Amino acid sequence: MTKRTNTSYWIAFSIVLALLIIAPLVLPEFWRRFLTEILIWGLLAMSSDILIGYTGMISFGHSAFFGLGMYGAAAALLMFSPPNLWLALAFGLVASALIALFVAYFSTRLRDIYFAITTLIFSQIFYVIVFTWTEVTGGENGLNFPRPRLAIPGLFSVPFTSETMHWFVLAVVTASYLILRRVTRSPFGMVLQSIRENEPRTRAIGYPVERYKIVAVMLSGLFAGLAGVLYAVQNRFAAPDFIFFLVSGETVIFNVMGGIGTLVGPIVGAGFFLLMREFLSRLFGDQFPYLIPLGVVFIVMIIFLPQGLLGFARRWLNR
Amino acid sequence: MSTQSAIEAAPAGEAGVGATGPVLRTEGLTRRFGGLTAVNNINFEVNREEIRAIIGPNGAGKSTFFNCLTGVLAPTSGRILFNGEDITGLSPDRISMKGIARSYQITNILPNATTLENVRIAAQSRRHGWSMLRDYTAYQDIIEKAEAVLKSVGLYAKVDELAANLSHGEQRNLEIGIALATEPQLLCLDEPTAGMSSAETRDTVQLVRSIAKNLTILIVEHDMEVVMGLANRITVLNYGQVLAEGTPTEIQNNPKVLEVYLKT
Repeated sequence: MTKRTNTSYWIAFSIVLALLIIAPLVLPEFWRRFLTEILIWGLLAMSSDILIGYTGMISFGHSAFFGLGMYGAAAALLMFSPPNLWLALAFGLVASALIALFVAYFSTRLRDIYFAITTLIFSQIFYVIVFTWTEVTGGENGLNFPRPRLAIPGLFSVPFTSETMHWFVLAVVTASYLILRRVTRSPFGMVLQSIRENEPRTRAIGYPVERYKIVAVMLSGLFAGLAGVLYAVQNRFAAPDFIFFLVSGETVIFNVMGGIGTLVGPIVGAGFFLLMREFLSRLFGDQFPYLIPLGVVFIVMIIFLPQGLLGFARRWLNR
Repeated sequence: MSTQSAIEAAPAGEAGVGATGPVLRTEGLTRRFGGLTAVNNINFEVNREEIRAIIGPNGAGKSTFFNCLTGVLAPTSGRILFNGEDITGLSPDRISMKGIARSYQITNILPNATTLENVRIAAQSRRHGWSMLRDYTAYQDIIEKAEAVLKSVGLYAKVDELAANLSHGEQRNLEIGIALATEPQLLCLDEPTAGMSSAETRDTVQLVRSIAKNLTILIVEHDMEVVMGLANRITVLNYGQVLAEGTPTEIQNNPKVLEVYLKT
């Protein structure tokens, strides 16, 4: 990394961040909420990039971490009155981290497709548990709860509006991005990339690969859970659908569309996917099977842009 | 994690120099694959700072023997003692931490990483491996260690080259560099000159000699010139058993060895 690419990186970062800060002031209500939602899904996709892009493990279980983050937040928001944002965050993160530890312990001994299938099965187990345990989880209908206030004790307390919600989500996603970027460039992050490139070799030079993988899955699950908490707070409900494996599948698609191993790419991929879906259903109506044209786009992208939108943009800029 | 391993590694290295007795010792080491006994009851000793060659026809069990030593395969029976400590059946990462490193028969590097990064990641396995919140370039001690290793294997001019772009001979030497960066006491080289030109082979022999100080080296090799030029002692394997052991001259004049080699 030369000095100049570093400077231009931070300039680009500041411009994008500034645009995202201004956005809710110019966008109408619907698109304001839509942009916030893109950021939340982007955070989920970015968290799974730690595994897909950096460690070379494809997780189909991220819906479980996301969903458990939601239900953890729901528990805090329903148990404490008045509802407290920070307790929701704490509950959601603890729930997703515990689930991630549990899943990681059993799945990281397996590689490639076996790891993917194991994580998928675990997420389906959690789905069934949440779906059927109606007394606690609300079953099929999920849970509704009040939205907490945006407050720092002793400093200020304001109710969330769609603008402050957006800024709060933006702050969390930006902080998460900066932390994950740091982690991927740390000695630990380099070990993960070494595992991706050559697992037996990484073991042979002295790294306990399984332990590194468990920590990677927990880290990834933690940030997926954080996305779940944000989603719960924004939408004031938690539903079992979010634990269903289709959500994990979309997460993988966001990654591939945006460009794996880039952290930002998955956010771009999430934005692209959600915007396409929105436009297709606006053009052709709600009943339109939007997945068919999206699937075609996806296949075309895999063939012509295998490095994703961000990878393509990078190469184009460097030309 | 890192402090613990430093404590483990340091006394072994220092006490080892004064200590007598073999660095490595196997007792009745056996490994079966179904009906095939690839390594059969091998009793074997290597002394400190020795260069020991292991030779034998194809299928004699040399690679299986190496795989047992480095934890890739668990022995079916028998024991492996390293500095007097039983390391039988430990995982490759634990064995690496004890001070045994290996290079591979088939080049086994990180092709998409630079030469420096290949060696740096190996050096980092001794310290700071779990550090998460500082940039990896902040750890100058690791980078200096990696650069020193690259100098010793003659690749310092290519620090920023992608490993995939190195010549075959350079990649083989990078292999040795990666192994050296883990600060081993015992270095196992699996056919380090395989596929090299004769000029590259001569350079690699020079290289192995130059790194042999304070290091015990086990070398599996087919090239007899390399073996005779490097080894203090030679162990000959055949059908998974020790056929003969001795100095290069003894081995060259051993009728049993000649018979095995002439037959093939």
